[in-house]
Amino acid sequence: MIQKIDAKKMVVTGDYAAAYGALLCDVDVVAAYPITPQTIIVEEFSTFVNDGITDAEFIMVESEHSAMSACIAAQAAGARTFTATSSQGLALMHEMLSIASALRLPIVMPVVNRTVAAPIGIWCEYNDTMPQRDSGWLQMSCEDNQEVLDMIIMAYKMGEHKDVLLPVMPALDAFILSHTVEPVDAPSSDEVLDFISHYKPHAILDPDNPMAIGTFTPPEYIQELRYQHHVAMNNARKVIKDVTKEFAQKFGRDYHGLIEAYKCDDAEVVLITMGTVTGTARDIVDEMRAKGKKVGLIKLRFYRPFPIEEIRKIAENVDAIGVYDRSISYGTGGPMFIETKNALYGMEKPVVNFLAGLGGRDVVKGDVEKMFEILLKAKEGEAKEEIYWINTRGVSI
Amino acid sequence: MYEIRFHGRGGQGGRMAAEAYALAAFLEGNYAVSFPFFGAERRGAPVRAFTRVDKEKIRIKTQVYEPDYVVVLDETLIETEDVLEGLKENGMVIINTTKKPEEVRLSRPVRCATVDATSIALDVLGRAITNTAILGAIARATGEVGIESVEKAIIEKFGARLGEAAGKKNAEAARIAYEKTLIGTSQGGKAFVPKKRWLPDVNELPVGGAIGTLQTDAGLVGIGSFIENKTGDWRTFMPEIDKEKCIGCKICWFYCPEGCISMVDGKAIVDYDYCKGCGICANECPVKAIEMKREVRI
Ligand code: SF4
Ligand code: SF4
Repeated sequence: MIQKIDAKKMVVTGDYAAAYGALLCDVDVVAAYPITPQTIIVEEFSTFVNDGITDAEFIMVESEHSAMSACIAAQAAGARTFTATSSQGLALMHEMLSIASALRLPIVMPVVNRTVAAPIGIWCEYNDTMPQRDSGWLQMSCEDNQEVLDMIIMAYKMGEHKDVLLPVMPALDAFILSHTVEPVDAPSSDEVLDFISHYKPHAILDPDNPMAIGTFTPPEYIQELRYQHHVAMNNARKVIKDVTKEFAQKFGRDYHGLIEAYKCDDAEVVLITMGTVTGTARDIVDEMRAKGKKVGLIKLRFYRPFPIEEIRKIAENVDAIGVYDRSISYGTGGPMFIETKNALYGMEKPVVNFLAGLGGRDVVKGDVEKMFEILLKAKEGEAKEEIYWINTRGVSI
Repeated sequence: MYEIRFHGRGGQGGRMAAEAYALAAFLEGNYAVSFPFFGAERRGAPVRAFTRVDKEKIRIKTQVYEPDYVVVLDETLIETEDVLEGLKENGMVIINTTKKPEEVRLSRPVRCATVDATSIALDVLGRAITNTAILGAIARATGEVGIESVEKAIIEKFGARLGEAAGKKNAEAARIAYEKTLIGTSQGGKAFVPKKRWLPDVNELPVGGAIGTLQTDAGLVGIGSFIENKTGDWRTFMPEIDKEKCIGCKICWFYCPEGCISMVDGKAIVDYDYCKGCGICANECPVKAIEMKREVRI
């Protein structure tokens, strides 16, 4: 249990906000291994334990693979668990990710998006989380530190919902959020615990009532289990919307479900962004609108489940859609671009992909402006390419 | 919105200063964001940190390119780099130095505030940690935040880490700096050779990033390029070896992480062009032949 914690306004890093969110959710077990730029999350949480604010079990492990293994075991024993990782750490964890989700254990794990080697880079790129697409987790990305805190809280409520029962992976951009301090409104522990309510596991490993999970299973059963999992991921769409709505009612901050449409109503072109570039793009949308250009923005919050209906609905009324990606599926394009094209199947609209910020390169205002300018050309059928490498030396656009 | 860029050396607490400033602005009802230069901070190396302040929520997430204010915690930095780079036309620089604003030479004449934060820190805190005193100078020079908010922010931020008494001492250092800050205009005319960077395009960059030693416009790149990176100016303390005491055991040579100790005639000598002043050699020497002395640079 945690001690009662009052609501307060803080000026903290994204990493701190993540750890604090887990604290407010009264997690029982934390098992984690440090990796830059995630380390602060586990460090801060261990400080909460050390200071006696929570009596959560803090397990130090020798790798990320073990961290996830420990969380799986603890969650299967009925505990609410938390861990965090980044980059190579997530890659090492890959094997355990699909075990956590297929066992239907609603673990919450923030991932600080960081470049996966080679070469070694510690800055923001989405090539750590995006390749985990088929691990069966709910995956989303945060725009600012407030959203990090709020999302950890919502993640427990979404993941633990009886129609979902899946682990959740909220992502935050390396350094741009993880190491940046900004104001964060933190609710009290009572409000949070009232909101997420008590965790009721669907099954508990209990010596008095023995049970087997995840054992050797022949083909007669696995296909149905996969179908259940698929349905749960689809169910998550409604649960995400309900939980964000309930959160908005209780805490006054509305995240609008799987996506947030920003000035899309009369937009001729829209850009889909994820993570912190969204904030910069909001400023650009305002600036371009002031000049009479009808541009809009879709902040993609969830990557899994992917907001197919929501994007189609907006796409119906616009003339061109751009997708910004911070990761690349070699030879094809950005992962969000691929998803968007899939979502818009059958609609005859130009869809253009912008790759920027790879390896943590700063995505500056001019870069985002360029994306919109290309989109306005695409609207007239004048885009030369399908995929644009923004600010890439020696590649003309 | 206004933006501040802090210049310091790793270990001097520039990041803490930038964050404490953000907290002070926040306490006055502003929205404030602060972040370090995104990279690995190494003790003694030139590092930067940033703060953005606005009445409204700040949404932009790019780095800072055209600051309104530049703060320099370590005077030696104004010799090696143009700290005014990108500073807005009517911007202002705040420098920790014993000089008056009119005595400071920079790349162009600019509104300038100076304070001897090092002496204040030594007086009040007994240590040359200047990251709190400088905050008082910023409050005075810019008028953007009140000194009371700076004191509050310092007590909250540093007090949480170092204890309440230390928090208050640091706030006192800021108050004294606030009172002693001089405001004027710097001299200009100091020439800096702009640092070139190797920025190959996709066709020039070797496949897979495999790089041996490459001579480029921007100097050596790849294996051995550290030769051109004289890290000696990262030092605040320098090792001095007493030849009489040295028994030639090579332990310092073995432990020096920079590989800048060599043995000549059976005695250890330090290459000060590269020695970063970490003090490991002094710590390891079995006969205490190495002493770390505070480095004085002009
Ligand atoms: S202080 Fe000693 S160990 Fe450290 S870099 Fe200098 S010579 Fe090497
Ligand atoms: S460790 Fe001390 S005694 Fe040994 S070589 Fe170095 S300076 Fe000389």
